[in-house]
Amino acid sequence: MSKLRDRAEREIGPRLIVAASTVTAPARAAAAARRVSGRSGRLELYFGFDDPASAFAVLDLKRRLEGRKVIFDLLPVIERGIEDDPALERKRVYAITDGRRLGRRIGLTLSRSEPIDPQQTAFLASWVAAAPRGAALTRFCAEACRRLWFESDGPINQGRYEQLWRECFGSAPVADIAAVRANEKQMTNRGPYETPAAWIGGRWFFAQDRSAQIADWLDELGWVVK
Amino acid sequence: MSAPRVDYFYSFRSPYSYLSGPRGFALADDFEIDLHFRGVIPMMMRGESVPTAKRMHTMRDVKREADRLGMPFGRIHDPLGEGATRTLAVSEYAIDLGRAREFVLTASRAIWGEATDPATDEGLRQICDAAGLDWDGCHAALSDPELAERVEANTQQLVEIGHWGVPVFVFDEEQFWGQDRIDDLALVLADAGLARH
Repeated sequence: MSKLRDRAEREIGPRLIVAASTVTAPARAAAAARRVSGRSGRLELYFGFDDPASAFAVLDLKRRLEGRKVIFDLLPVIERGIEDDPALERKRVYAITDGRRLGRRIGLTLSRSEPIDPQQTAFLASWVAAAPRGAALTRFCAEACRRLWFESDGPINQGRYEQLWRECFGSAPVADIAAVRANEKQMTNRGPYETPAAWIGGRWFFAQDRSAQIADWLDELGWVVK
Repeated sequence: MSAPRVDYFYSFRSPYSYLSGPRGFALADDFEIDLHFRGVIPMMMRGESVPTAKRMHTMRDVKREADRLGMPFGRIHDPLGEGATRTLAVSEYAIDLGRAREFVLTASRAIWGEATDPATDEGLRQICDAAGLDWDGCHAALSDPELAERVEANTQQLVEIGHWGVPVFVFDEEQFWGQDRIDDLALVLADAGLARH
């Protein structure tokens, strides 16, 4: 490898990525323009109902967005992760241990000791992906995440969640797996490869780990708590 | 009775390990523990690949975290290869001298915040001098097979406990993966009655 190429890979490339990441003016201008035109900010959360870190993120971000003029866009996915990841199963098991710690941060105790197969919660993703955004959907997702991960163990009772859906929306859920696939595609296009991932003003964050960064970025964009 | 052991698996090629350094070593100040630094060979030198999207995100995310923690980040020299191997060898030497903390923090800051190349004698010597280590001893460590074996053993241990990345702390067989789980480990250590008063 030439010296120049070696230096480009080891120093120049990483430095450029870091430097570019500090440019905030375009995102701030876009946010200001939205406010001037009376529109809200938008936080997209890509999450999995089978993922305890996602459950934490849904509950934590719901609370953190209170008082900010920001739409909480809940976008469930099923298929995600690094392709052919050799650590996939170990990560799913570790997620349970880690979920216990995350739950503790918001005063909840994880009720499960085993991972949930993504297909077991696919019905939830397909309902939510097809539903209109708004307070009812946020309420349903938060309550479903709480019940799934902090109030139940063992097999998942679909009827219980249908009842919750009716309480939130006043009608029966409609499944749309194509809408889930669209969320997965959009998530990949945005950059995240794993859940939970929050996308705000052109940046994405691992939502379970970067609460402080997310709050700082919302403030910087002008979506402050009022 | 000896203090409970906490293993601290760390890679000089991992910017998240770098971010963990000051708070990781400070655990031994705040709690009655026996903290064991365990330098490991980088993932990419172990035949594991890292997708481009993950690499790009890591740089951006670490920059934001570094700013929040008040740590320099951005003048980088990726130590993949010889740089990592040499730094690991000297870290084992520093452990023997009781100066692991000084060396690890200095070397990591040099790599991620000052673009120092530890693959060169000039770069590594700068780091060793700043960490208060004698260059002759450090230079000899580079070709010491026993130190290299210790690094191999650390890396193997990380694989055996079933983990895939760094930094990882292990206390009482429980793993804490990530620089953002140090506070959780501190809570567990406090729960175990290990806080220094």
